[in-house]
Amino acid sequence: MNSQGRGSLLSGLLWTAPWWLGFLLFLAIPMGASLYISFCDYTLLQPPVYTGLANYHSLAADATFWRVVWNTLLYSALAVPAGAVVAVLLALLLNQSVRGQAFFRACIFVPTIVPLVAAAVVWMWMLNPEAGLVNQPLRWAGLDAPKWFDAPGWAMGALVLISLWFVGSPVVIYLAGLQEIPQELYEAATLDGANAARRFWHVTLPGLSPVVLFNVIIAILTAWQIFALPYVLWRGQPGPQGATYFYTMYLFDNAFRYLKMGYASAMAWIQLLIVLAMTGLIFWVSRRTVFYRGG
Amino acid sequence: MNIRGLILACVLILPAAALLAVGPRERHEVPADRVVVRYWEKWTGVEGQAIRQLVDRFNAADGRRLGIWVEYNSISNIEQRLLIATAGGDPPDLAGLVDSRVAQYADQDALLPLDDLVREHGVNLSHFKPIWVELGRYQDRLYALPSTPFTIALYYNRALFRDAGLDPDRPPRTTAELNAYAQKLTKYGPDGRIVQLGFTVSNAMLGWWPWVWTNFFDGRLWDGRRFTLDTPAGRAAAEWIRDLRESVGRKQCLDFEAAAGPIESAQNPFLSCRLAMVFQGPWMSNWIRTYAPELDYAVAPFPSATAERRNAFASEDVFVIPRGARRPHEAMTFLAWMQRQENLEELCRLHGKVSPFREPRPAFFDDHPNPFVRVFDELAASPDAFGFPRMPMWAQVETEMIVALGSLLRGDRTPAQTVERTQARVDAIVQEYERMAARRRGEGGAQ
Repeated sequence: MNSQGRGSLLSGLLWTAPWWLGFLLFLAIPMGASLYISFCDYTLLQPPVYTGLANYHSLAADATFWRVVWNTLLYSALAVPAGAVVAVLLALLLNQSVRGQAFFRACIFVPTIVPLVAAAVVWMWMLNPEAGLVNQPLRWAGLDAPKWFDAPGWAMGALVLISLWFVGSPVVIYLAGLQEIPQELYEAATLDGANAARRFWHVTLPGLSPVVLFNVIIAILTAWQIFALPYVLWRGQPGPQGATYFYTMYLFDNAFRYLKMGYASAMAWIQLLIVLAMTGLIFWVSRRTVFYRGG
Repeated sequence: MNIRGLILACVLILPAAALLAVGPRERHEVPADRVVVRYWEKWTGVEGQAIRQLVDRFNAADGRRLGIWVEYNSISNIEQRLLIATAGGDPPDLAGLVDSRVAQYADQDALLPLDDLVREHGVNLSHFKPIWVELGRYQDRLYALPSTPFTIALYYNRALFRDAGLDPDRPPRTTAELNAYAQKLTKYGPDGRIVQLGFTVSNAMLGWWPWVWTNFFDGRLWDGRRFTLDTPAGRAAAEWIRDLRESVGRKQCLDFEAAAGPIESAQNPFLSCRLAMVFQGPWMSNWIRTYAPELDYAVAPFPSATAERRNAFASEDVFVIPRGARRPHEAMTFLAWMQRQENLEELCRLHGKVSPFREPRPAFFDDHPNPFVRVFDELAASPDAFGFPRMPMWAQVETEMIVALGSLLRGDRTPAQTVERTQARVDAIVQEYERMAARRRGEGGAQ
């Protein structure tokens, strides 16, 4: 490299320093440290003691670990598809040119800017077995109103239901995606005799598929990080029969309540691998199901 | 940039710059000749105001004379932040913790033992009721001094007692009596639902101390080496909970609890006369005064299995000096000032707690917001008073106790199965903790 090239490199490094310094200091080095700590017994207050794979072995034999993995998987399996379907349906409705369109769009988005804790308190009332709005119609219909937060079988359902309250952000993205689909495709499909359902299946859905892919991946990442909502709803406790004890809650407990930082770090790395594997799987599946225009 | 853009930028930037330059800011006027003691505390609101008042008084008088300035900071999530600051080598000089954390932090060598400092600064521990000093000890060393202590007693609704044909001046004296009273005080609606509940140990409503019940059967959960739930006391407590539940109807009880509001809110069923008896602390009278001032209630010791014993749950917020504090002596000087009876009792009274002193001043009782504060104070003097088990791995064990109580209340397992399962799980936690501790001390090889 000549002196001009070196100067150019130095200049480039200098101008990009805020990014790569930040990346090194706040991401790469802490991640490296966390990886090392995952092979140690570390209480934060005493120097780490290297224990090899002991944390990973302990995790494999830890029933609570498997419980939280199962709970988080179940939550992902319920909340991600339910969220995607509800968000697409809402986006389709909000895409119709009707009076007060802007108002309806605002109504769907506003819940996403409500603080989580406030939303949780509101939902505690909404789902109250006796006084809650959700159970009233069930009782009128003569059905046994569920104990949403106290019955192991209903607690997860309550959480998934509440998660749908926050679909505003994906709805906005789906809405933008819908507006990107060329009108000519709809016109051509109509000329070919396609009804609304066929137009949705053969035009809207393929046109929207890259956005669906993006939103599903984000939703999976979010689902694996679920913490605040169950933490507030069940006061930091594992919920009925541990039904709402999630991965990040157990990780947090290990790190900051039990002072088992090595164990928590091992959990964090396993979580990363699980999410990477799921994302990879989705990308692999998406090769045949996602349609990129001009791609 | 065109002229319009320039004007817009100025409109946005100039006020921000002006605010930064001359806007309001927190005042930190530390006199030049003072040594600063950094004090972190968890309290906010009225409780925060109370301690700030005392800190200001110290700074204005004794602090000035001694050349010390206490810088008070109200910190949220203080346990985590104290942990991180201590690990990072920059802890505060003084901090407020809850007593349940003392064993864990002390075992991790995160707290400074106070025995020598207390002696040097002339703090007379014998002035306190023994339980309040005991709760600050771990393995025979003193790591914490009392700040605002409390005991827990039985609040009961006198009007509901009368309605049920019970003498309102004769609260239950044994756990068996409590069950009988609870049954009499429980009423059902035409659809079989509970409309008024006698008593419950529900996780949802009273989940703050899910582990205490064994103690009322004269058992203690930790003997210093072993967790002891699988003793006759532990089994008796589990059976008592099961009996209490079944006597009023397990399903109806669950329905009632699921619909009841949180105990610390206006929806507290005790305040709306839907719950006749409740296990609570001295602060309960503040809620009653705020949300149900007409409530006809009284407070009594929570009954034990036998009338001869007076088991009483005692707990406290404490002062600690973290390991690595830069000004431990100055922090202790302030602490010694705080431990003077007039100062500490003022703090406790403003917080609605009990006095830690053997003989509280009469004014403490006269001015106290809880009319039954003497009951709480007497409970602390009981030789059978107990606190959180001083297990360094208590946080983990507590989670198991929450699960165990939930299982008993729902009837997922029999009392015997619950006790066996919880005992086995806690034994494993204790063994794992000890194995890791030995390895840290270099006593065991790597796995």
